[in-house]
Amino acid sequence: MTAPTETSAPTSSPRAARKHARSGALRRIVAIARKEALHVQRDPRSLYLALGMPIVLLLLFGYGVSFDMDHLPVVLVDEDRTPESREIADRVFASGDLHMVGRASSGDEAHGIFARREAHAVLILPRGTSESIGRGEAVEAQLLIDGVEANSAAQLQGKAESALRSASLAMSVEAMGPRAVAIPTEVRLSTWFNPEERSQLYLVPGLAAYILAIVAVLLTALTVSREWERSSIQQLFVTPVRTYEIMLGKLVPYFLLGVVAEMTVFVVGAWVFDVPMRGDPLALASASLLFLLGMLGQGMLISIVARNQMVATQVATMTSMLPSMLLSGFVFPIENMPLPLQVISNVVPARYFIHALRGVLLRGNGFPEIGFDLLMLTAFACLMLFAGTKRFKRELA
Amino acid sequence: MTVRSIVVEGLGRRFGDFVAVRDVSFHVEKGEIFGYLGANGAGKSTTIRMLSGLLEPTSGRALVAGHDIAKAPDKVKASIGYMSQKFSLYLDLTVRENLEFFGGIYGSWGRALSRRVDETLESIDMRSLAETSTAALPGGLRQRLALGSALFHKPPIVFLDEPTAGVDPASRREFWKLIRGISSAGTTVFVTTHYMDEAEYCARIGLMVAGKLVALDTPAALKSEWVPGRILRFEGEGLVRALSEIRRTHGVVEAQSFGNGVHVRFDPGHTTDQSVLAAVAALPAVKVRLTEPVEATLEDVFLAAADRKAEDAVRGGAS
Ligand SMILES: Nc1ncnc2c1ncn2[C@@H]1O[C@H](COP(=O)(O)OP(=O)(O)OP(=O)(O)O)[C@@H](O)[C@H]1O
Ligand SMILES: [Mg+2]
Repeated sequence: MTAPTETSAPTSSPRAARKHARSGALRRIVAIARKEALHVQRDPRSLYLALGMPIVLLLLFGYGVSFDMDHLPVVLVDEDRTPESREIADRVFASGDLHMVGRASSGDEAHGIFARREAHAVLILPRGTSESIGRGEAVEAQLLIDGVEANSAAQLQGKAESALRSASLAMSVEAMGPRAVAIPTEVRLSTWFNPEERSQLYLVPGLAAYILAIVAVLLTALTVSREWERSSIQQLFVTPVRTYEIMLGKLVPYFLLGVVAEMTVFVVGAWVFDVPMRGDPLALASASLLFLLGMLGQGMLISIVARNQMVATQVATMTSMLPSMLLSGFVFPIENMPLPLQVISNVVPARYFIHALRGVLLRGNGFPEIGFDLLMLTAFACLMLFAGTKRFKRELA
Repeated sequence: MTVRSIVVEGLGRRFGDFVAVRDVSFHVEKGEIFGYLGANGAGKSTTIRMLSGLLEPTSGRALVAGHDIAKAPDKVKASIGYMSQKFSLYLDLTVRENLEFFGGIYGSWGRALSRRVDETLESIDMRSLAETSTAALPGGLRQRLALGSALFHKPPIVFLDEPTAGVDPASRREFWKLIRGISSAGTTVFVTTHYMDEAEYCARIGLMVAGKLVALDTPAALKSEWVPGRILRFEGEGLVRALSEIRRTHGVVEAQSFGNGVHVRFDPGHTTDQSVLAAVAALPAVKVRLTEPVEATLEDVFLAAADRKAEDAVRGGAS
């Protein structure tokens, strides 16, 4: 058997050879990234997905997520114990929006009531309520809200306020005649476990995770399945390109899109919902990028395994939407889940991202406090990318 | 001394219980156009996919450009161009973008890349179509673009899997002009086809029947081995009805209707053109209008080979 004349490019030393190989890998990654960017440009659906969906979902959920609820469970503390205070309580609960589930002797019991999940709020009518009404002064009722119940907190606040206002107003009018119309009524609110007194603050981090999960997973879910379907993957694999180079190259444009989507969420959150930024911005950025990478990796893995764009889209939607909504602490507090779901939530990356976001945005945390979250997000991202590369190689054989 | 671009020894591939390619051995010389002929499912694509490193063989071995396909698939990939049976460039990219992409994949960069893109466009005669969307190209041009990107990195060997399937005859001729051009420039061409007329362009042909390489030689040698003798073509009246009588004529090996005439093959050692002609013309109800000697076609070879394979299978099964 005669040796052929063809040989690979001559290299003078092993070091030069390694350098040559590195620059080759880089060039291949750039070529893949450019081509992928062209796909996005030609079919801007992923552009709309990355830019439009965060805004739409954020506004939709931010304003509308408090699905209208009635019969919100409330415990009453009547410290005044006068006919007037009893009447005001009757009127407050008469509308049906607030539902009295019990009585307590003082506001100190609120902690236990919330911990046992007996009520979402404790309404305290303080001593002197009857006199205030008699004199036409402001009633200084107090409402303690369990902030963990983010969905109901905002509604409780509004409903309690308006119910108290109309009740005390009606009673003042009865006592003093139409003169009372101008008399102020005051409800002092204390939100427990969520000192911000606003549910959106609590919701936006959860929403951010939810939106980014969907957007990022969907973005990459089609990138490989499309190539399986059109068999262009065959053409790629007769070239010296390596699986990890394909994956990295494909990640680049979607990563950039994801960063834009991510920024959109935070800007809209800060702008429309006044979400503060109390902690370390670098910690926030790290958590966001790691989460994004993990989600893109998840989409890529789905794309590699599915081989078919339709299946890929469906699986991507299911696996990103459901866990990040239901198992992440976004809608249901993790502490209150049944034990099996609590265990499962440990492998839901959105859980760590939401925890880190709430920490940095609301509690003013930095790297030390969210270290574990970052660790878990890193682990998830590595796992997804590693599994993707491995599967990719296997699927080809 | 010739240089062997491809050496294949006992190569085989099974999918589960099904043997798609069975114990195939051959070699291809540098600059040769090597044709692989076979019916649907004969194992042509499977062979090509193994030789280009897309599929691992389950038996045997092969050297491509001097590299073992099992041990150094990356070196093999760097030395080959591959055009898959199914068009697999990116339809949403323009002609130029497709070429730039594959150029980039092979490590081409910057000015060298754009120079090579222009060169390639020139060589496939598609310069004016550079900015056209690939989706807008008709089949023949798509195939030319696919050839261009397979040759972009100037590989010493190209594998073309049915490059002209579904392409109109004029485009096919154009395409083969390109193939002959790259072969005479020293590139080894391994091509599969369904079209027998195209196979004539190949220096040597391997015949695949049901996963086995049943014959391998130059087109001329294949013809004289599988369809020996001389062939006379008759046109006229009553010929087809008289086929069985023609077959009984002294020296005639075979007689078949072919187009609007009849091909009569005979052994020139036993008879002559004149006596065959006289015998046919003398048959009752036959009127011969035209007689001419014709060459055996590869189609004849293919049919004969497929027949023999089938007979072997029957005999093998009986014993
Ligand atoms: N991945 C696979 N799994 C199972 N069977 C396969 C696979 N690939 C090919 N085959 C089978 O192997 C046989 C040979 O296929 P191959 O594609 O090599 O044929 P071919 O000669 O190229 O035919 P065609 O002219 O249709 O392209 C076929 O019967 C095919 O169904
Ligand atoms: Mg085939």
